[in-house]
Amino acid sequence: MNPDLDLTLSRIIRAPRATVWSAWTNPSSLAQWWVPAPSRCRVDRLDVWPGGAFVTRLSDDGVDFMPHLDACFLAVDDLERIVFTNAIDSTWRPANPAPVSMTATITFADHPDGTDYRMLVRHADPAARAHHEKLGFTDGWGSVAGQLAAFAERTASR
Amino acid sequence: MAQYSAELDGVFVALADPTRRAVVRHLGRGPKSVGDLAREFPMALPSFMKHVRTLETHGLIRTTKTGRVRTCVLNRERFGILDDWLAEQRRIWEERTDRLEQFVTDQEDSTP
Repeated sequence: MNPDLDLTLSRIIRAPRATVWSAWTNPSSLAQWWVPAPSRCRVDRLDVWPGGAFVTRLSDDGVDFMPHLDACFLAVDDLERIVFTNAIDSTWRPANPAPVSMTATITFADHPDGTDYRMLVRHADPAARAHHEKLGFTDGWGSVAGQLAAFAERTASR
Repeated sequence: MAQYSAELDGVFVALADPTRRAVVRHLGRGPKSVGDLAREFPMALPSFMKHVRTLETHGLIRTTKTGRVRTCVLNRERFGILDDWLAEQRRIWEERTDRLEQFVTDQEDSTP
């Protein structure tokens, strides 16, 4: 987990784990919450097993459906965990989704109030590199030495 | 949104190259002339200029010419696009989880 790049989210959902699991793994259920209204979602493939296809399409007018997600399940533990990535598409072809690929891990656990729902989204390397560079120069710039060096260089270049 | 993701793509592409990342690091310490920068890299000036142009095209640096000297300056604000993108991803997933929660709790309410 890289806190600068990866997203984590956790939520206690007031519904039994089996209900939340079914909302994720039943195509007609997933279609109802996967994309924000007024867009419509069509679930083309939801093969919830390791290596299975995960393909959704999106429509703004309910007529023409555009590509939305073309991904592949990596791990599926019944009622406990779903892992999928768009770094490999639904036909197992290595993919380069824009702007970077990701792997999402969703875990489901029982909780006294319902379901302890957690997710971790890991982003691919280009984002990591960009962020690394940014951290590098912000640190350097923030330090007194960095500012002094910059000042000296500016003065010298005049 | 399409414009924004094209810009973001450009920033990632520009930073995918080790030479260009090294240029960014150099400029993080302050503005430098193209000549001074080029001396740090074992390549011909035309090849080096390609990297400078890529960084400039994608908005990561700005260059200005005074007389015969072209000076490169890091465009720090441009790097904020990465934070914006991460914030956007977080928002998408949080709203998606809101909808999931709504969907399953509605289901629970409607079952006797």
